[in-house]
Amino acid sequence: MAKTMDQSAQDEEYEKIHQAFEAIKQKHRDDLGEKDVRYIKKIRRNSRIFEVIGRSLIHILPGPFALIGVPFLFLHRNLEAIEIGHNVLHGQYDSFDEIPQFHAQNFRWKAPVDETSWRQEHNAVHHVHTNVYEKDPDLNHGFLRVNSQVPHTRLHYFQVPIYLFLFYPFMLYNFNAQNLGVVDKFRKKYFPEGNKGYAVLDESLRLSKAEGKKRHKRAVRRIWAKEYVLFPLLALLTGFGAIKVFLANLLADVMNSYWIALTIQATHFTEPLQPEDAIKNKGKWYISQLDSSVNFKGNRWQSILWGHLNYQVEHHLFPDIPAHRYPDMALEVQAVCQQYNLPYKSNDSWRAAIKKFVGAMWTYSFKNPEVKDEASFLDKAALLNKAALLNNEALLNKEATNVK
Amino acid sequence: MLNKFLTDRLAKILEFMHPWLIKTLGRDRLEYVASNTTNEVTKKLDPFIWTYDCKAKVIAIRQETSDTKTFVLLPNQHFSDPIAGQHIELTAIGPKGDAARCYTLSEITPETVSITVKLNPQGEVSPWLHDQVAVGQVFNISAARGQFVHRDQQQVLFICAGSGITPAFSMINQLLAQPSTDKASEVGLFYRTQSPENTIFSKRLAQLDSLNKQVKVELSYSRLPVDVVTPSFIDQLIAAYPDIKQQHIYLCGPELFRNDVIQYLESINFDMHNLDVEQFTLPELLQDQQSIKKLDEDVTVLLKSQNINFVIPASDCDKTILEAAELQGITMEHGCRSGMCGSCKTNLVSGEVSGQKIGRSIYPCTAYPASNQLVLE
Repeated sequence: MAKTMDQSAQDEEYEKIHQAFEAIKQKHRDDLGEKDVRYIKKIRRNSRIFEVIGRSLIHILPGPFALIGVPFLFLHRNLEAIEIGHNVLHGQYDSFDEIPQFHAQNFRWKAPVDETSWRQEHNAVHHVHTNVYEKDPDLNHGFLRVNSQVPHTRLHYFQVPIYLFLFYPFMLYNFNAQNLGVVDKFRKKYFPEGNKGYAVLDESLRLSKAEGKKRHKRAVRRIWAKEYVLFPLLALLTGFGAIKVFLANLLADVMNSYWIALTIQATHFTEPLQPEDAIKNKGKWYISQLDSSVNFKGNRWQSILWGHLNYQVEHHLFPDIPAHRYPDMALEVQAVCQQYNLPYKSNDSWRAAIKKFVGAMWTYSFKNPEVKDEASFLDKAALLNKAALLNNEALLNKEATNVK
Repeated sequence: MLNKFLTDRLAKILEFMHPWLIKTLGRDRLEYVASNTTNEVTKKLDPFIWTYDCKAKVIAIRQETSDTKTFVLLPNQHFSDPIAGQHIELTAIGPKGDAARCYTLSEITPETVSITVKLNPQGEVSPWLHDQVAVGQVFNISAARGQFVHRDQQQVLFICAGSGITPAFSMINQLLAQPSTDKASEVGLFYRTQSPENTIFSKRLAQLDSLNKQVKVELSYSRLPVDVVTPSFIDQLIAAYPDIKQQHIYLCGPELFRNDVIQYLESINFDMHNLDVEQFTLPELLQDQQSIKKLDEDVTVLLKSQNINFVIPASDCDKTILEAAELQGITMEHGCRSGMCGSCKTNLVSGEVSGQKIGRSIYPCTAYPASNQLVLE
């Protein structure tokens, strides 16, 4: 009897939390308009300007001086990939008729990732089952091991160098392979326990072999054709160095992948793992998402370069609200979190976030690590209830000071 | 000046190359190339290829009878292969704004489709097509849709009248194009028109009849000179196809004609499972003044992206659009089922929904039908 009483009180609390977050969402939905259209168009215009500057410098300047153009090209690739691409493919700009080029269905990435399968994997799986063991493909994509529930193999001893030096430089290509189910097959073949501990592609989403291959090829080749064939060839035809252009474009490509990898990795992988039914209760969507993401601080300009993914908490709470609104929403979210004593996780800097994450990657490269600092990386799948939240009070206090 | 001249030239060359592009690249590859190169410049250079819309260009016009014309259309890469018997919805750029009508595809080739349109002087779209449209005209079309298609029956009889010949014509041609192994089914066509002069495809029907053993064409005229005594068309039908009860019938024509045929079929205890009737129940995409009301009627839903048409029974109208679709066995993209993740978000083309929406963007997982016709992107 007492238990049911507790239950209903808890449900009431959840409902209140739900309504508080819904109010924030509704406020910003009602406010959608001209401002958002202007914003995304402005970002696209700047991306184009950077592209022209970057490619011209790389084209014209001799030898190593071409490196001067690389940051500009990187800016173009980066804006297109995350601040425009990632956000547009979330459908953040779907409700604006006047910009069909920024509708999720129409948009084509300047990144080697197939849009359709990405939208399935990212929007419908990762954003729904965030941090759920064996359900969230981004929790441990590739062969990553960041909790001790995932079976350990010899490969994991080397996960830090492999990821930092081999995988992150080509992270976008890895994402594509994962979304299309290539990684599943690798694990099935080479890991003793196969895909145990990893999220696998849902059977209903798995494409036929031919279709998957075709999508993979097409997503990658459009980038290669432009970066490694067209522009080097143009240089060659106009009497400039083709190899120089090739290498400069490769550098921009690698920088882009690395940047995105570090941005994403540093804002996920947090404790606790979420129960499978986390999203079933309405209020729990928000609580579960709060638990699963970490912000890191940066100013508005930096945030654009991170595609506003440093506001990962807000992004996971409201994935289809235009991202440039997250800095404003963050204040409102923090207020709700304080009111209901919910965790709002934030690192002081990107550096701190990366350090924490790489630390976790290192820790779990060993079979049975002793996790000392539980507050920074819990190992248990905590159930979502008020008691568990209160148990994390130490953490909460720490976060509260961070927020200040 | 020179710049303008050059881009005009380039645009002309590109336009000239459209049929060749679609033929050699195929729509699928063209879509890949075009969608990845769409930008402000290319959109202006060639709005037929670099576009997000499904468009078609008129590449030939044929006069069939005094008031009927066939338009051969070259659809762009957003069009996917149609099935004979299906129709498209064409958006006319009329004087009173855009108006959309459905037309059955009368002929299908790998690159082109044709529509055969009878002039209705009081109409909005057919006069525009007949009088204004010339070769080279571009308009928006929908993907091909409709369930009035051949489903591998062995013995088939098409009964049609007037412009109802169009689905029958494309289906017969498709049947004949199939490899003649086991599919050498018997095909009958009973076609009623006013007079020989008003018979659409008259020459080609005669050819079909004489060149193919398995095809039997019977023409019937309603307005012959008075001194010619003709039996009623039902009698003529029975005489021509005495084994009508063994046939699978596809019926298409004006309402009165359809009713006469159905009445007759009922009288001979025809198995109605073997009858397909074409009637355009699709939403007329006009500015309908449907007010939001509590629904106690069936809702027709069209998913444009998947090109699927389904009906939500009145009893399911309290369910979300996503649930209702799933009950009909239709899969829609979705994620959290609670309006949070935005995976299912799609745009409403016409109709009304209640529940979660932002302007025209709706969330099928948490939105409910609020008008008896819904068209979703």
